This record gives sequence, structure tokens and C-alpha cells, in this order.
Amino acid sequence: MKDDSRYMAPLQLAGRLIMECGGETYRVEETITRMGRAFGLKDVESFAVPSGIFISYRGQDGDLQTAVKRVRRSGTDLTRVDEVNAVSRQVEAEGLSCEDAMARLEEIARRKPLISQRMLVVAAAVSSGGWAMLFGGQGWDFACGVAVGALVQLLPQLLSRFHMQALVSTLLGSFVAALLPMAFHHLTGLGTVDVIVAGTLMPMLPGLAMTNAVQDTMRGDMVSGLSHGVSAVLTAVLVAGGALMAASLFSLLTGGAAL
Amino acid sequence: MMTTMLLGTARMFISAFLGTLGFALLLHAPRRAWLPASVIGAMAYALYWVLEQAGLGMPASIFIGALAGSMLAQGCARKMRMIATIFITLSIVAMVPGLGLYRCIALLAQGENAAGVRTGVQAMTTIVMIALGLGVGSFLFRAVMGMRHSVRRPADQEGR
Repeated sequence: MKDDSRYMAPLQLAGRLIMECGGETYRVEETITRMGRAFGLKDVESFAVPSGIFISYRGQDGDLQTAVKRVRRSGTDLTRVDEVNAVSRQVEAEGLSCEDAMARLEEIARRKPLISQRMLVVAAAVSSGGWAMLFGGQGWDFACGVAVGALVQLLPQLLSRFHMQALVSTLLGSFVAALLPMAFHHLTGLGTVDVIVAGTLMPMLPGLAMTNAVQDTMRGDMVSGLSHGVSAVLTAVLVAGGALMAASLFSLLTGGAAL
Repeated sequence: MMTTMLLGTARMFISAFLGTLGFALLLHAPRRAWLPASVIGAMAYALYWVLEQAGLGMPASIFIGALAGSMLAQGCARKMRMIATIFITLSIVAMVPGLGLYRCIALLAQGENAAGVRTGVQAMTTIVMIALGLGVGSFLFRAVMGMRHSVRRPADQEGR
């Protein structure tokens, strides 16, 4: 008779991938529960928080298997979340075996990100320009937003060799995102500083994280909601801090514009 | 006035489309979702903007924009056989008050407590309205899909 503990690995990997890639807490728990039941396991339970996943189930032999998986990375990769969901559906609907599911999940975990670093710079540039226009900007605001947005996205890539923490990277990014538009306006007299800064800060701001935190809380995932909420506030503080430092430095150097 | 409104709406639509498209790449959304998700995000934001310009008030406009975005997002996800998260996330990305949160912190740091608290309350109101809009949109979508299925059943039974 096969060992029932072998089912734990694909369940853990599926849950971890969804959590690491920005999937909702309820999706992690649902995916684990559905896959476990599809594998023929009984009493499948899971509890997920942003920093870890707890799984337990009863195998064919009646023994209770329990494991904890720490989640250390965070980010957003909606393609991977979709792919893991597809594997889960295949396990449920087509009876994909435990070994095949594990192989597919490992392939999803291993593959390179869909979007290259270069494309991310283009994406940040387009996004920042768009937001600058949304906040009432004109031609020069769009152009400056595109340029500064690209530079801000490029910065962590250039400094990656220094293994900077994400939070330090956020602080530095917001500093540059605020300083460059001020310098541009000061030198050329073109563009509206507020609008360009707002546009370039948008990709860094945790509005989406805060909204997800509220949604988690409304669904009853209090721990997740609180955790994501605190993380969002911390990010907002860092972004504001970086921008305020830039404004203070600029004011000191030129005796000029506040943010 | 109608022309100004139309031009304004078009500008908001294009700006929100570009912003959302950029976000779709930054969030590593699947390639075939980029265009539909960006269009849905732009439509949701344009609807919010039109309603606010018409005098409905920010909270109600945001709620309706998020609700409409949520329903379109779920319909699109079902059609394209992808998870709704992709489209729902991108449908609201233009409306989330990231800037409001940042301004709240910045004002509080500069000692302008009253303005900071006011901005913070506004930002939180927006976030709650978006979350409510998504929740109600999800409920309505399931109710509509449920009604469609129950309407089909009598015809199926007749065929047996």
C-alpha cells in the first residue's frame, strides 16, 4: 500500500505557490482542500496566513498527517496563480495523479517569469505615463512620467547585486520618483510636479494591497486581512518617507518647491 | 457641455487603459488577458468618473464602478476560462486610492494632522466602497448565473 504522506508535497507546493504569487487566502485553502479530496483523502483541512500554511488530512489508513509550510517570499505573478488553479482543476475533473500533479507544479515553480525585466521597465513607463494623464497631466507630464517610471523600475534591477531588501528598494524608488520630476521642472519649467510624482508613485503604492486586506477581512480571514493591512500601511509610510526626503533635499539645495 | 463630457470621458478611458495595461504586465498577468482586462479596468474607471461628474458623489460612484467592473471581470474570466482574480484585480486598479494613502501619510508627517486625517478617511472610504462593490458584484453575478441555469432546466427536462 502506498504511503499517504506523499500527498502532502503537492498540496504544500500548490498552496505555497498561490500565496507567494499574490493569490487570495481563501484560494489557497480552497485549492488545498479540493485537491486533497480529489486525491481521496479524508478530513482535509488547511489554514493559510501570508507567512505560512498549515495542512492536515486523514489518509486511506486512517492516520492523521499534518504539516506546516513556511512562506518566505511575496510578490505577484497572476499567471502562476492561474496555472496552479488549472492543475487543481485537472486533479479534480480529470483525476490527475499525485505524481503528475507534483511534476506540473514543480515545472510551474521552476520556469522563468513570463515578463522579462526589460518588459517590466516598459510596463512601468507606460503605467506611470498613463497615471500622470489620469491625474490631469498634459504632454510633458506624460513624457516625464514615462521616463521617470522607467528609471524607477530599472533601479532595483541595477542594484540587485547588493541584495537589497524590498522595503529599502521601495524607499529608494520613491525618493528617485519624487526628486527627478522636481529637478526636471526646476531646470526646464515644464510639467506639473505633483501630477508627475503621483503618476510615478502609483505602481509602488499599496492601494491594491489595502483593498485585498479589506476583502480578506470581510471574508473572515482576519489574520490575513490584518497582516496585509499592516504591510500596506508600512509600504505607504516608506513611499511617503522617500518622497518627503526628496522634497526636503530639493528644498535644501534650491530653496524651492515643496511636494 | 456634452462635448466636454465626452472628451473628458475619452481621456479618462485612455489614461486608465494605459495605466491598467502597465499594471497587467507588472502583475505578470497572462498575455491573453492583457487587452480585455485593461479595457474592463478603463470602462470601470470611466463609469466612476462620469457618475462623479454627474454629481452622484465619490463613494456611490466608486461603488457602482467597482460593481460594474467586478461583474464584467467575472463574465470575462468565465468566457476565457481563467481565474477571476486576474480580471477583478485589474478592474479596480485605477480606482484604488494609493495616492490618497500616500498623501495621508505625507500630511501627517508634515504636521498637518487635520488634513492628513481627512485624506486618510477619504482613502479608507474609497477602499471600503471598492471592497463592497466587488462583494456585491460577485453575489449578483452568481445570482444571475444561477437564474440562467434554473431557466434552462425546464427545457432540458422537456427534451427527455
